[in-house]
Amino acid sequence: MVDEIRSKAKELLTDGTVECVIGYERATDGVTARPLFAYTAEEIDRFIMDNTCVHNLARYLLDRKGKPTAVVVKPCDSRTINLLVQENQIERDKVFAIGVTCPGVVEAHWGEASDEAQPRCVTCSLEVPAVYDYLVTMPGERQTRTGFPDLERMETMSPEERREFWERQFERCIRCHACRQVCPGCYCPICFVDQLDPTWVGIRNAPPENQVWHLIRAFHLAGRCIECGECQRVCPVGIPLMLLNQKLAAEVEGMFDFRPGLDAETLPPFAVFKKEELEAER
Amino acid sequence: MDMNGGPKIVGFLCNWCSYAGADMAGTSRMSYPANIRIIRVPCSGRVDPLLVVKSFQQGADGVLVAGCHPGDCHYSEGNYYARRRFGLLRPLLDFVGVEQERLRLEWVSSTEGKKFSQVVSSFQEELERLGPRENRG
Ligand code: SF4
Ligand code: SF4
Ligand code: SF4
Repeated sequence: MVDEIRSKAKELLTDGTVECVIGYERATDGVTARPLFAYTAEEIDRFIMDNTCVHNLARYLLDRKGKPTAVVVKPCDSRTINLLVQENQIERDKVFAIGVTCPGVVEAHWGEASDEAQPRCVTCSLEVPAVYDYLVTMPGERQTRTGFPDLERMETMSPEERREFWERQFERCIRCHACRQVCPGCYCPICFVDQLDPTWVGIRNAPPENQVWHLIRAFHLAGRCIECGECQRVCPVGIPLMLLNQKLAAEVEGMFDFRPGLDAETLPPFAVFKKEELEAER
Repeated sequence: MDMNGGPKIVGFLCNWCSYAGADMAGTSRMSYPANIRIIRVPCSGRVDPLLVVKSFQQGADGVLVAGCHPGDCHYSEGNYYARRRFGLLRPLLDFVGVEQERLRLEWVSSTEGKKFSQVVSSFQEELERLGPRENRG
């Protein structure tokens, strides 16, 4: 399977379709994967593809605007391409998507890869990329999809219990903003959290300030989050950010019948409206 | 904010309809709770969810966003966008334990002074029922 990726990648470089292929290589711990930007055939020989390939590589397309680039995408990652084309951030004809069907990726940390599925895979609804120019199949038994048990559990809690739950989460946030850096939807030249005049999120690290950061970060991704799960994966203190994202995704789907990144044409929910709607939700 | 001990309400009112409606309530001497602090904005569509979340963080017990009725927006469609935005912000607030009743979106025209005073009064009653917001600001 990795041979298919390698030979396609070489073909694309040789015939000049792209200048760079973004894929995965083995990290120096010999266990986990890391992104590799390949510009030559020799580099392409280092490509791997297995269940440790967790990163959403399509995010890097934002760093290669206007430059013909091929990228290896899992189904979740592929939605990034549609999102970014829809939002006029990248040009579809400058991107060659090497799609990989995916049985799920695992929790992997430096020097060790577990059998445990990434949380995003447990709730994933796609088996095949939403967009691709070439498709390869990653072997392996598809991980069990459980639906959204955590989300359902949250809904059974009282507002008071939910407030306490999130306060405990938000007070651990160190505001490193790694969740933003890794997110394909977070490409604002100046993020609200970095603005000093006005200061929307106070410098001090305290639950109320952190709550503003978390609610607005999540809301800025409402109807845009493509559920790649990268924000939660990179969070150094393990805040369950996907709960917020999935809550909004469920509401957006319920209210507006919309899921981002499945195509590049449908206008997102905040760009349109219907005259007759939502009077009950006011 | 010293607010006579009642729930603190921040009201974002659109310049063209709801602010004029509040003005009308004032000039016709209709009574409404003094606990509301009014901020005039050009349009309900101008109200960034950040302003709402920030108001709660700064200690508001409730936030009112009021604009022109659908079809009457001075800028044609700002209120339709606001309706979508706050329709989604309310369940998010609820999800983190800020009861969604604490955020209200209302349509108040420039001639609806009476409606404005009723909206604020009923909002205050609702907020009293919910009790003060736990705030560790
Ligand atoms: S990655 Fe985690 S700790 Fe860092 S800002 Fe995001 S939520 Fe906070
Ligand atoms: S919010 Fe998280 S899951 Fe959603 S697109 Fe951004 S990184 Fe991916
Ligand atoms: S959190 Fe919001 S403002 Fe900051 S980068 Fe993401 S989308 Fe932009």
